Amino acid sequence: MKTEVPFSSKRLFMTLMLCACAVILLQNHDLSADASFWVNLLSVFAGLGVCFFYFLPAIILKKKYNTDVMTLANQAGTPLKWATAVFYALYFLFTAEYFLIPYTDMFCKKYYAGAPPCLIALAVLACCVYAAVKGVNVITRFGIFLFVLALVTNFLMFAGSASSLRFEENLAFRGTLSAFLQNSGYFITPCFIAAIYVCLSGYTRRFTWRQPLTALALTGLKYALVLFFIAFSAGEYAGRQEYETYLLSRVAHFGSFAGIESFYMALSTMSVFMITALLLCCTCRGFQLGGNVKWTAAFAALLFFVRFIAEKFDSLNELFTNAALLNGFTFVAAVVIPSAYLIGRKKHA
Amino acid sequence: MNNSLKENIKNLQTLFANSADLSVREVTLKSVRQIRAAILTVEGMVSKEELAQSSVNPLMAFDFGAKTEREAYQTILSRVLASSDVTEIEGQEQLISFITSGFAVIALDGVEKMIAVGSQGYAYRGVAEPESEVVQRGAREGFTEPLRVNMSLLRRRVKSPDLVFEQMTVGKKSRTQLMLCYLQKAVSQELLEKLRERLQSCDLETVLASGYLAEYLEDSRTSRLFSGVGISERPDTVCGKLTEGRIAIIVDGTPAVMLVPHLFVEEFQGVDDYSNRTYYAAFIRTLKYLSFFTAIFLPAIYTAFAQFHPEYFPTWILVKTSKSLSETPLPVTLEVLLITFVYEIMKEAGLRIPKSLGHAVSIVGALVIGESAVTAGIISSSTLMVVATAAICSYVTSSLYPPIMTLRFLFVIVGGTLGLWGIVLATAIVLISMCSKTSLGVPYMSSLAPFSLRTMRDVFVRAGWKKLSEHTIKVQNFAETEEKA
Repeated sequence: MKTEVPFSSKRLFMTLMLCACAVILLQNHDLSADASFWVNLLSVFAGLGVCFFYFLPAIILKKKYNTDVMTLANQAGTPLKWATAVFYALYFLFTAEYFLIPYTDMFCKKYYAGAPPCLIALAVLACCVYAAVKGVNVITRFGIFLFVLALVTNFLMFAGSASSLRFEENLAFRGTLSAFLQNSGYFITPCFIAAIYVCLSGYTRRFTWRQPLTALALTGLKYALVLFFIAFSAGEYAGRQEYETYLLSRVAHFGSFAGIESFYMALSTMSVFMITALLLCCTCRGFQLGGNVKWTAAFAALLFFVRFIAEKFDSLNELFTNAALLNGFTFVAAVVIPSAYLIGRKKHA
Repeated sequence: MNNSLKENIKNLQTLFANSADLSVREVTLKSVRQIRAAILTVEGMVSKEELAQSSVNPLMAFDFGAKTEREAYQTILSRVLASSDVTEIEGQEQLISFITSGFAVIALDGVEKMIAVGSQGYAYRGVAEPESEVVQRGAREGFTEPLRVNMSLLRRRVKSPDLVFEQMTVGKKSRTQLMLCYLQKAVSQELLEKLRERLQSCDLETVLASGYLAEYLEDSRTSRLFSGVGISERPDTVCGKLTEGRIAIIVDGTPAVMLVPHLFVEEFQGVDDYSNRTYYAAFIRTLKYLSFFTAIFLPAIYTAFAQFHPEYFPTWILVKTSKSLSETPLPVTLEVLLITFVYEIMKEAGLRIPKSLGHAVSIVGALVIGESAVTAGIISSSTLMVVATAAICSYVTSSLYPPIMTLRFLFVIVGGTLGLWGIVLATAIVLISMCSKTSLGVPYMSSLAPFSLRTMRDVFVRAGWKKLSEHTIKVQNFAETEEKA
């Protein structure tokens, strides 16, 4: 078993925050057009509020017993341990696919037109195996550099779009309940970070309640800023873009500075790299295989295989990029299972 | 060793294979019993004057009367010798160690022990300013080869009993002496123990320079691209590091003192930073960081732009670069690699060539290879300029030259085959590798990752001395305790 060094809880939450922010960078922007900026803002609050609720079982486990679900599963006996490990492994691999597929698609359509998505996926996964073998602690350290890159990129993105802001059209409070609910559903997607925390909280130390709240607040701020620029950036460049398009072409507007959108490419690539590596770590942790090169490579190979098949069959592609399905699994992974272990532990005590 | 002087001498001569530099002077002491003695030295290692004054003259002049050999031995040890550095030798190992270190050894017939007298007097290079760490306002002293001289250079700067020198011997054949040097109140005992274990595990036959040991000090299973062992030839730098809880390893015969744990951010700190104004120190450090990134990424980004994203060049550069590149026969990636490779050859030649030929090589390099190759259309001027800029930048942080050079080649290949995306992915891998590296258990990227706001006062900027002296940050504070998860 790999020796892991406990690290700062603050750092893990910063990494999770970056993972949550990646949702809006990488996913298809499928928000309802019936809702205005203000309604979308309310949806962000609602979505991230639910996200905090998802965090509660893991936080209670951490606060009360200073442990995580995987440790409890290992203490619970062989059948339960294997059942938990297998469920989480499948869930994490599904989540990894959820990011990997849109990333490779976006990459091959918008950036390197004509490049084979599977080759891109293979290269990214190979790098992820290396990172995953190094462990969660190292990935969170890497997250610090990604945070700096995110700050610079977002500053450039927003500064580039600031000159073309127009407030006349979209300033009104307009929206329907169904649009609000649909958009809130979209903003529940980052809840997958709660499921990651459920598995990794045992590694960390010095946890405070302020950490998840700050992470979610910063994620909300990022979402709000992106929504703001999508809603009000009406320059010639933004005007040319379709509404339902990837954010790369909508928000990553850098004025007249050609080439600066490479920052966006770098940020999205590194985000996918970090999320996938983190999810591979979580998958291995379930089976107590942390740091095992062969098994990590095997899980990565499974991810590649699914990506390869998904390219051939559209239905599979849609299945793996279905936000509702992910949210459903996330609810089980972040709320149901940890709560069950929490109750079991309480009864046992 | 035994009672017979003759046998002891014979054994020693056999051990040294009758080496010509082993000098044996047999004498008879002034006494009723005609005690026979011998003074054993290695030629060239002792000062003859010092030996005569401290040992030979007093020994020959002293009247031992009717004393037995053992009594005479005790008298020599306590009263006769005029040296402060006198030690009893009880075994062959000790005897070899002393005699090869420049001590004179006095052996008496009938006594199985011997006496080592400190009278070293070998030739060595004097204390001078180290060429690799030139400063504007600091001391002009640098370490030299003899261990004791280097120890005195440190002791002169830290006049405190807190400064400890701990002697060890490495190398089965060379028996090289080394000193672990640390401040007792500042060092972490855990780190010190770890270091001792690693040095003891060193099974080298010969240790001729400190670099031999560096690999043994690196943490296992961490990246070897960057060094986890710091090197300095300046006593003031070493003293500064000792106050932060680091341990210095001084190896006899090497002016380069090793320092552990060593962090990435230290590569950008210089002695002058602490003498200059804070704003100027911050400026210089910013320059160093920018140069480091330019040295690694500039040729790679240029290659990626020229090969995959020419639209990213500003129009006026694009026109000139395209014209220049279109006139050369090689693809841009090969061209960058070729010029970088030729530059590395010229650099190596410049380092090894006699100084008198240096100018000739410079002319050949600059005119023949540089200008003529551009004029002949073999290489483009823009590529030459990019590689030259990167080469100059790599010397701003000269201690990082090996990783810079390796990464430059790697990134050019990746940039030329996969474009900017490849560079991003390779950067992620290098960052992961750097973040996973530790030096004696302390994360190599400490201060940055794990991030510590408090230590930022001496990373990109240098805070004023009043602020720096408020609280000295110990290097062991960065270490994360290992526990089984």
